[in-house]
Amino acid sequence: MNVLFTTLTLVSLTAMLIFSPAEAFPTMIAGVKSAITLSLKLLAIYAVWLSALKMMQATGLDKKLSKLLRPVIRRLFKGESEDAYDNISVNLSANMLGMGGVATPAGIRAMTAMQDGSAKATHNMILLIVINATSIQLVPATVIALRAAAGSADASDIFFPTLIATSVSTLSGIILCKVLSLKKDKSNDKTAALSLQFEQKKSDFCKYITQKRHAK
Amino acid sequence: MSVFILPAFLIFLIVFSLVKRVKVYDCFLGGAKDSLSLVKSIFPYIAAIFVCIELFRASGAADKLADLLAKPLAFLGIPKEITQLMMLVPLSGGGAIALLEDIIARYGVDSYIARCAACVSGASETVFYISAVYLSACKAKKLRYAIPVSLFCTLLGTVTACLLCRFL
Repeated sequence: MNVLFTTLTLVSLTAMLIFSPAEAFPTMIAGVKSAITLSLKLLAIYAVWLSALKMMQATGLDKKLSKLLRPVIRRLFKGESEDAYDNISVNLSANMLGMGGVATPAGIRAMTAMQDGSAKATHNMILLIVINATSIQLVPATVIALRAAAGSADASDIFFPTLIATSVSTLSGIILCKVLSLKKDKSNDKTAALSLQFEQKKSDFCKYITQKRHAK
Repeated sequence: MSVFILPAFLIFLIVFSLVKRVKVYDCFLGGAKDSLSLVKSIFPYIAAIFVCIELFRASGAADKLADLLAKPLAFLGIPKEITQLMMLVPLSGGGAIALLEDIIARYGVDSYIARCAACVSGASETVFYISAVYLSACKAKKLRYAIPVSLFCTLLGTVTACLLCRFL
């Protein structure tokens, strides 16, 4: 994000220096101004939605959802510990309800519970990342509220298209992960064998060189 | 139909809270309090991205980029006006919201473009941020196919959203 921000700002500023130097600074101020307006809108939206989330937590509704998800999760993430299943179900159910604050810590705990000690992420770890990164969100509350604030005739009419789109992305993510986890293992074995051979050749060569030097 | 979902959901929540003897008023106070700190924490990101977007657009670079990508995107049925949004969504959640607000103001909230943009930002996540944070406590740092798969599936979701917005 740092690189992206710096390059974009630099490129745009340079272009403006050439074409419209007078507008550069006012444009930046105008940007922050719209950021403040948006923040106020978001403050209102979150005040309502976060209180709804508070109710969900206080009534244990999020735990009910995570219990419902449990059998599905067991089947998707085969061969993990109970601790991992606990955290995955909390993570996914919180994510579906839009509770990022609950989802993230549970997700991190689930990842540490699933790691096998190597430097590579396991297939199940990747699956969890992909599911989160394409997350199914049941109620896109922020988007609906933003549309309502802008005076939409029917702010929530994007509900079904959004739900279908996010389901498509998550489902295809799961399928792709499962396919890749089958394929990648084979190619990994091959590359592992190849790199082993390469290492062997390299050490042989090194030995040969040192021997030659000693001979001299 | 979808008009009823949110209010019905809220009524259900309040009734359920009454059954469970949860204090509804206290929940609201807590939510309002949390919203202050949440907005405070995302404001810097929104401010930065807005400055960036405004500059990018005012300099004319945004149009050039959109024109460049217009053809391949049109092939997938994605309007070129949401090119920037598509590229920002995996990087920054606050930035995506900011850009969505900008698109709504520019094209009108009930226009096809703005509805597409709303679906796209509602249906996708910050891929790079999530993969970085989730691995933060792990020894494993190699993500292998996680990011390409996530990005590809987000693209699939975007195509679906743009297609559905034409009918629904």
